[in-house]
Amino acid sequence: MAAAIPLYKPLVTDEVEQIDQGARYILEHVGINVLDNACLDMLGEAGAEVDRPNQMVKFRPDWLDSALAQAPSSFVLHSRDGYNDIHLGEGKVHFTNGGRVFHFRDGRTGQYRYTMLRHVARTAALVQNLDYIRFYMIACQAHTVKREVYHLNDFFHSFNNTTKHVMGGCDNLEGARQVWELAGFIAGGEEQLRRKPFLSIVVNPISPLTMESNMLNVLRFCCTHGIPVACDPSPMAGATSPVTLAGTLAQMHAEALACAAISQVFSPGAKVLYGAVPTVMDMRKMDVTMGSIEMAMMNAAAVQLAGLYKLPIFGTAGVTESKISDVQTGSEKSMSSLLVAMAGADCIHLAAGMLDSANSISYAQYVIDNEIIGTIHRVLSGIRVDQGTLALDVIGEVGAGGNYVMHDHTIEYMMDEFFYPQLAVRSSYDVWEEQGRPDMLSRSKEVVQRVLAKSKGGVLGPDLVSRIRKTFPGIQNAQ
Amino acid sequence: MSDFKALSDAVIKGDINAAVAQTQQALEAGHNPHDVIDKGLVAGMDEVGNRFSKGQFFVPQMLRAAKTMQECMKLLHPLLKEGDVVSKGKILIGTVKGDLHDIGKNLVAMMLEGAGFEIVDLGVDVPPEKFVEKVQENRPDIVAMSALLSTTMPAMPQTITAIEKAGLRDKVKVMIGGAPVTEKYAQEIKSDGYASDAGGAVNKAKGLLGIP
Repeated sequence: MAAAIPLYKPLVTDEVEQIDQGARYILEHVGINVLDNACLDMLGEAGAEVDRPNQMVKFRPDWLDSALAQAPSSFVLHSRDGYNDIHLGEGKVHFTNGGRVFHFRDGRTGQYRYTMLRHVARTAALVQNLDYIRFYMIACQAHTVKREVYHLNDFFHSFNNTTKHVMGGCDNLEGARQVWELAGFIAGGEEQLRRKPFLSIVVNPISPLTMESNMLNVLRFCCTHGIPVACDPSPMAGATSPVTLAGTLAQMHAEALACAAISQVFSPGAKVLYGAVPTVMDMRKMDVTMGSIEMAMMNAAAVQLAGLYKLPIFGTAGVTESKISDVQTGSEKSMSSLLVAMAGADCIHLAAGMLDSANSISYAQYVIDNEIIGTIHRVLSGIRVDQGTLALDVIGEVGAGGNYVMHDHTIEYMMDEFFYPQLAVRSSYDVWEEQGRPDMLSRSKEVVQRVLAKSKGGVLGPDLVSRIRKTFPGIQNAQ
Repeated sequence: MSDFKALSDAVIKGDINAAVAQTQQALEAGHNPHDVIDKGLVAGMDEVGNRFSKGQFFVPQMLRAAKTMQECMKLLHPLLKEGDVVSKGKILIGTVKGDLHDIGKNLVAMMLEGAGFEIVDLGVDVPPEKFVEKVQENRPDIVAMSALLSTTMPAMPQTITAIEKAGLRDKVKVMIGGAPVTEKYAQEIKSDGYASDAGGAVNKAKGLLGIP
């Protein structure tokens, strides 16, 4: 039996309800600033309370509930290979990496550089080969790619390096349309893509309580074209939301619910993820802290809040302020990823590959985080108790003073009972010396070399790639 | 080769009953015992070693496979001429005087046995005199000593000295191990070999006796 999720609930039932009521109060009495007239019209026609001069929308509780009732409580983020489909809303936890950073930490020189298209391709290849990173979020910005063909390029190089589900941001409607056309071409048609959308889009409302026009247009395009959307409010406690955790949660909950409700106005039944990226400011110098323990606590609480509405949650964990793969990185990532996983989030993003407050990526860190996440999955799978695992007959057979090393029971269960890390050092001191004093970081660099060396060709195949390039001439090489 | 595939597979799986049955069948079918060993048992063990080195097999599986091979060899031994089979060697093993820890020592013994050595296990808290007495009695190729405590480590050089005084030092190789024991310490007390873990002990024992 897997462990009974959730294993961690930071809020008791009464507290969950107070925060939810708070969010409903905010939506009813304060409202959301919707900076798009067409969207205001749609919401007005659908029965929301619209204040046109101030571009404010208020959500009556009954209206909110009827809109949210149309949102699916479970759906699939499809992979192209069929083996890596993400089933949301089924009580399983899925980790993914984090996206759209601008810096890359070079493992050899230790220098930070701007990210390019090749970094998109290579991080996708890494995720393709790391089992516990279940789908790929487009990891970084491609600095030399022009705006007009930007999303054609970052999505193409993602698709060409992983068959796992790909999620990315889209800056504008034109970008979303490009990506949709590209994905449709790969899928073999619009209908095929609608049936099994192997990409999704992440959009960000602006905290506090604001949705701007580009974001709404992308959201609407996705909802009407069957593309799943994660709607990620990112309040910073002490700056763009109250300094209190409860206040930040109430505001973020309002923003996430508003986004989910608006999606249903755009297209009833639209697949929407309740996003949560609550962070806190370190008030000493006003530094944003994504690796703070409060961020983990709030993300775990958000799982409880999303659960009230049976919306699959797209939570956040595994982030750090540290600039290198060091002790702080390991402790912050492990602690937050573990807590949010124990809370039972459907998806946990930003949890792999990132450093420097989600501004930077490091290839080696992907491999290290993959192992941290694997360890966490061992926690989630719990302690199996049955006749076989209790092993009373075996204990009787071996008796006092014997050992279990060669027993059938050992061989039968040893693979499944333990998590076998690939990076952590477990050998004796002397063996460790003989091996040249390896550590998780040095070992992860070896894995990076190995994976990238074997991933040069891409996964789409030369024939399909040449047809894609003919149809979409804006696609560039991954340099 | 394919004649012995079922036997090799049984060795790889560590399935003693199946392997013994396959060995019997092969002999009844008139196969040469040397072929049964080389093409069946050894071929299986080679694959086990291969998988172990790739990390696909774990220690218990390797030990089981070795044990399976040994059980099959019991059927084959009587059919082989004297000198046909080179024994890997005999090893006397024990935890030194004053020390009651035996988990590590047992693991080493098990691994050595799995690798084909004959093991005489003297248990724990073995005084130097007893090591000497048992060397005289069993004529081992190697004496292997274990200690877990810094306070009992001195019993190792004491035992070596006792073996020397009995005039047996040139008849046996001495190996030591245990958590606080190091390569440097092994050299200081003039032990012939040291290993940091059970797998290393097998390699060291083979090395001391010139077995590839």
